[in-house]
Amino acid sequence: MLLEVNDVSLSLRRDGKYSKILDHVSFQVNKGETVGIVGESGCGKSMTALSLMRLLPDKAKLEGSVELQGEKITNYSKRKLEKVRGNQMSMIFQNPLTSLNPLQTVGTQIEESLILHTNMSKKERRVRVLKLLNDVGLPRVEELIDEYPHQLSGGMRQRIMIAIAMACEPQLLICDEPTTALDVTVQAQILELMNEIKEQTQMGIIMITHDMGVVAEVCDRVIVMYAGKVVEEAPVVELFQNPKHPYTRGLLNSIPKLGQRKQKLGSIPGTVPVPENMPVGCRFADRCSHVMDICKSTVPQVTEIKENHQTACWLYDEEGGNKDATTGSNQSQTTLHY
Amino acid sequence: MDALRFIARRLVLMIPILFGISILTFVISNTIPGDPARLILGPKATPETLSALQEEMGLNDPLYIQYGNYMAGIFQGDLGQSTYSQRPVSEDLVRYFPATFELTMFAMVITLLIGIPFGIISASRKDKIADQITRVFALMGVAMPAFWLGLLFLLFFYLKIGMFPGSGRLDTGMSPPEYITGMYTVDALLTGNWPVFRSAVMHLVLPGITQAAITIGMITRMTRSSMLEVLGSDYIRTAHAKGGSENRVLYGHALRNGVMPVITLLGMAFGHALGGSILVESVFSWPGLGRYAVNAINYLDFPAVMGVTMLIAVMFILVNLIIDTLYFFIDPRLKHD
Ligand SMILES: Nc1ncnc2c1ncn2[C@@H]1O[C@H](COP(=O)(O)OP(=O)(O)OP(=O)(O)O)[C@@H](O)[C@H]1O
Ligand SMILES: [Mg+2]
Repeated sequence: MLLEVNDVSLSLRRDGKYSKILDHVSFQVNKGETVGIVGESGCGKSMTALSLMRLLPDKAKLEGSVELQGEKITNYSKRKLEKVRGNQMSMIFQNPLTSLNPLQTVGTQIEESLILHTNMSKKERRVRVLKLLNDVGLPRVEELIDEYPHQLSGGMRQRIMIAIAMACEPQLLICDEPTTALDVTVQAQILELMNEIKEQTQMGIIMITHDMGVVAEVCDRVIVMYAGKVVEEAPVVELFQNPKHPYTRGLLNSIPKLGQRKQKLGSIPGTVPVPENMPVGCRFADRCSHVMDICKSTVPQVTEIKENHQTACWLYDEEGGNKDATTGSNQSQTTLHY
Repeated sequence: MDALRFIARRLVLMIPILFGISILTFVISNTIPGDPARLILGPKATPETLSALQEEMGLNDPLYIQYGNYMAGIFQGDLGQSTYSQRPVSEDLVRYFPATFELTMFAMVITLLIGIPFGIISASRKDKIADQITRVFALMGVAMPAFWLGLLFLLFFYLKIGMFPGSGRLDTGMSPPEYITGMYTVDALLTGNWPVFRSAVMHLVLPGITQAAITIGMITRMTRSSMLEVLGSDYIRTAHAKGGSENRVLYGHALRNGVMPVITLLGMAFGHALGGSILVESVFSWPGLGRYAVNAINYLDFPAVMGVTMLIAVMFILVNLIIDTLYFFIDPRLKHD
């Protein structure tokens, strides 16, 4: 087990009031595995990632535990955590256009990780930076190393970000929508690169995305989040063929049929509840077409559907008694088009 | 070279600006009620001598002719004759400008040394006690009238505890250093004249801080807000994600980005300080351009007022040109556009 996230809850302060952004989020990532985190905008995907890195906004309250290779990094001091960030655990962000320092050359920015976490000499660092630039598929690396971010395209800058993240060969790579800001062809190239990296290294990858197409392309296992909670978890094929939670089905149904990836999710009617005003029962109840009385009063517990596949929904809960069994399988057929 | 082209373009752009300023000042100073000829001759002059002098000074010509004559003079290096000091204005400017420039530069150095660090501290400790205190002081600096602050300083540091001298540029009885730049501190340094250097610096302290109060406030506030914006940006998050410590991120990534807009403001601050010298010099009897200008205005000494205004305008534009050029070298984004 590479990463074990147990009951992580996060509260953030806004306008003087705390609101719970993440509620008992638990999942694991194995070595060499790519885990997708999907869900609509605002469901807490980025905050989950930032909680792992502990790069949270001021005054954030974080509970629960995160273990990286058996080490409980949630107990680490700031100092100790700095040694982990960028070294054992790296992160790539959504917007490559603004994620690089405009006043430093790309070489300097990649080199910084090496300065922070290795004892390499200046010469060795340069060699390593050139190799990294090469590895992420960038051309004319000898010149590129001295260029500034504004001289590069979005796709190239995201490759630089990947090079920065890979510099110290981390065990865990967290990608927060790494391709959302890029155009389709560049997206495909970056995903291909991610797949190559995954094969070459035995890194664990967390891939956060809105995009079920990206999930299908790179993920082994998928975690579906809704309003700060994990509602379903399954291997990728299982999830596409046999989605259980009505929310997951909604997400899958909203994939455009011809596989154009650009389209955003969100064709499920209704809106996500705000953290300040969470329903007492299931958070999806108001938008769910299978809603039952119990959904509105009691939070559903995570139930194992089969090995590795679990969901938090009253439809599948023993106690809930699978009351609405008819919806169980016939709908899932519609989602096989991917 | 790119940089040279850039500078050349800016220099060419200066010309219309200076023309505009000259027209504006000329019109304004000539619409002030009052008759310089009458002021020179005093109340007992006969109407004949008065109209003769008016004619001689060209005061009866239409305004555009007067302006034309003035500009024609400027191109020959002639700024006119000061009616008050009875010397060529250019001579007076050379005499008084170094004192003002020295004071202003001193104020700018204080501004930089205090304003930028305070702004950084304020931003990096946002909403903490250090931030609150800094913000109050910055606001006071901006809001407090310079002459009033100057009077307070005089009362306390000069009259009450006698720590700093309160007027002039040197101790009484001390003779100025050999004239090289006209700035006493610099000239004393160049000639190795330590007692004079010490005295000159001591005399700079109170007027310097008074003049700097506003600009310190400006720069502190600007640094704070600019740093806060930078600290919230994506590349700062990247720097943290790489494992950089707070200080490394603050000084290695945020500082340079955060100070860029502050540098632009420095040009404005310099202009502000130069303009503000008029009040400060009056309070501290500083024999500079400001006091010269006040006298010139009181005596409706138009050539002198024009001279001072044009000189300040040129300085202001030059400083901003220097700053823009500096910008050009520190921001790689400008070089490649
Ligand atoms: N600094 C903050 N203070 C308080 N609340 C915040 C802050 N940043 C984000 N939130 C809230 O946290 C919740 C989760 O946000 P998060 O950015 O994790 O969503 P996301 O799933 O990544 O969405 P997206 O797909 O749009 O990136 C949202 O409700 C958001 O309003
Ligand atoms: Mg996000």
